[in-house]
Amino acid sequence: MRAVCWHGRHDVRVDEVADPQILSKNDAIVKVALTCICGSDLHLYNGYVPTMKKGDILGHEFVGEIVEVGSRVTRFHVGDRVIVPFPISCGACWYCKHELWSLCDNSNPNAWMLEHMYGDTGGGIFGYSHLYGGFAGGQAEYVRVPFADVGLERIPSGVPYEQVVLLTDILPTGYQAAYYCNINPGDTVAVWGCGPVGLMAMMSARHLGAERVIGIDRFPDRLQAARAQCQAEVLNYEEVDVAEALQNMTGGRGPDSCIDAVGMEAVGTGFEGVYDSVKQALRLETDRASALRQLAKACRKGGTLSIVGVYAGFVDKFPMGALFAKGLTLRCGQAHVHKYLPHLVKLVAEQQLNPSSIITHRLPLQEAPMGYKMFLNKQDACIKIVLDPQAGATGTERAPQGEGA
Amino acid sequence: MEQSESERSESRPWQRPRKMNVGPAERKASLAGGAALALSGLRNLSRRNYASGLAMIAAGGMFLYRGQTGYCGLYDAMGVDTMHTQPGGLRIEKAVTIGLPPDEVYEFWRNLENLPRFMKHLEAVEVTGPRTSHWKATGPGGISAEWDAEMMEDTPGQQISWHSVGEADIPNKGSVEFKEAPGNRGTEVRVTIDYYPPGGAAGKAAAKIAHGINAQQLEEDLKRLKQILEVGEETTARRTAD
Repeated sequence: MRAVCWHGRHDVRVDEVADPQILSKNDAIVKVALTCICGSDLHLYNGYVPTMKKGDILGHEFVGEIVEVGSRVTRFHVGDRVIVPFPISCGACWYCKHELWSLCDNSNPNAWMLEHMYGDTGGGIFGYSHLYGGFAGGQAEYVRVPFADVGLERIPSGVPYEQVVLLTDILPTGYQAAYYCNINPGDTVAVWGCGPVGLMAMMSARHLGAERVIGIDRFPDRLQAARAQCQAEVLNYEEVDVAEALQNMTGGRGPDSCIDAVGMEAVGTGFEGVYDSVKQALRLETDRASALRQLAKACRKGGTLSIVGVYAGFVDKFPMGALFAKGLTLRCGQAHVHKYLPHLVKLVAEQQLNPSSIITHRLPLQEAPMGYKMFLNKQDACIKIVLDPQAGATGTERAPQGEGA
Repeated sequence: MEQSESERSESRPWQRPRKMNVGPAERKASLAGGAALALSGLRNLSRRNYASGLAMIAAGGMFLYRGQTGYCGLYDAMGVDTMHTQPGGLRIEKAVTIGLPPDEVYEFWRNLENLPRFMKHLEAVEVTGPRTSHWKATGPGGISAEWDAEMMEDTPGQQISWHSVGEADIPNKGSVEFKEAPGNRGTEVRVTIDYYPPGGAAGKAAAKIAHGINAQQLEEDLKRLKQILEVGEETTARRTAD
């Protein structure tokens, strides 16, 4: 089959690799119908996530059809159309039983590596480095899905793949970000980053009852998307002092909750931006925290900072004083996708939410290298790219090749 | 009459038959210090300070012997033992919480032939009697080691401890405790292993390097045990069987 493989910084290729096999009785093999390039794939693309190896198959957002199941899989059958959450969860450990699915104790065979870095383990993730287990990703024609009964979610009949492909990661991630804000009537939620996750967070915040949603970015296309898709007010951080503007917009209080949908590769402005870039380049800090600092400064007293942008290591100049003085709550972490999926599938099927409205590009899998470059550079008003592995597929059901094919 | 537990372990020392009572760090210091003393002694002799020269050579020789063999007659007479009381030596301790009652976790472990299923360095454990077993392990570079082990303590649902007996390739002892975790979290499994690598400076150095790897190995082993007991099998990220 064909798969998008990592070969180094800014080097992804579509390679021919062996088809995956059932290795455990709990496995399913999913024939991928649609897969996406995620903003966090760009951290891999830019070489910021350690323990990537040449040939690793990328991708953690994918939906498709089951073509094979292990003998212990009972909830699903060949032919079922399914959503695959990006965290891999065993369903048996204490964390899974307490709905902390992405913190699963048993799904990551390389958990000891994370333990050495972070002091404890995290679950496995498809296509997201060997720290997160070294599982092959979904930017491929087929994927082996462990713990199929636990992870998979059925797609209601009649709902097209494109409507649900964003339920594998970015919608639940954005939803969790908004959920963590504990939104009350009259609340204002500010969201840093109007990329796919930021847009999903704004959409979710609206759904959960926020009176006002404010999107912050620097790309006009994204700010426009926030306005159009999420009825958000917008701020361009290159044009205004964000904290001051937010204060003025909220009667001097500041937003009730602030969502960081940017993460470790934030683009800062002024001296602070240069400071972070230099320190990161010299490996004196791993993550650039300019967005995070703005969140802490802008948030109202007693408010919540909800962080879904990916951070990997250490940040400098974190405004702990502001956190303490204003009594802020900080909530963060990988989305516990399994927890929100049933509810979100229903909302999408009933057309109460329309996440697919943010998809701007549809490409065959073969075009993935171009897609990564385009997404990285935000060319062609690119917000979300969906890849179709079956367009010109070469897998087990491929058309005979050679003459006349 | 049956021997008590303490009498049994005294009458069957778990380490090699040769007596050792000097800890690894002290042995190294003895070797270095002994060599220095002996050299100074020789220098004194060459300056015709016969009395002090001879005394220094004798003392240096004693330290060298002590360093090389790990045995000190003076210590023996005084009842000092820095090898077995030194906590920082080659001891590994790791713990894991498993979401099953202590009895079930104990039961799985007590069937010693299960151990190679999650302990990657163990090739096989063969039960040879009610309290005895034969262990076969492979190390880095295909080095293999074998030993016989004897269970010292076996309290169902609580603790198992064992030690190697006779001419073990790597004398070792260990214990595993099973304790009910608070709040229905299952069982806290705590494993302690002490091992003593074969004599000689080279063996010691190799073992020291291996120590870091082994601590991590035990951690991985316990995570695998947890997977087997909670999930029913070891988790794999592989894509194909080969």
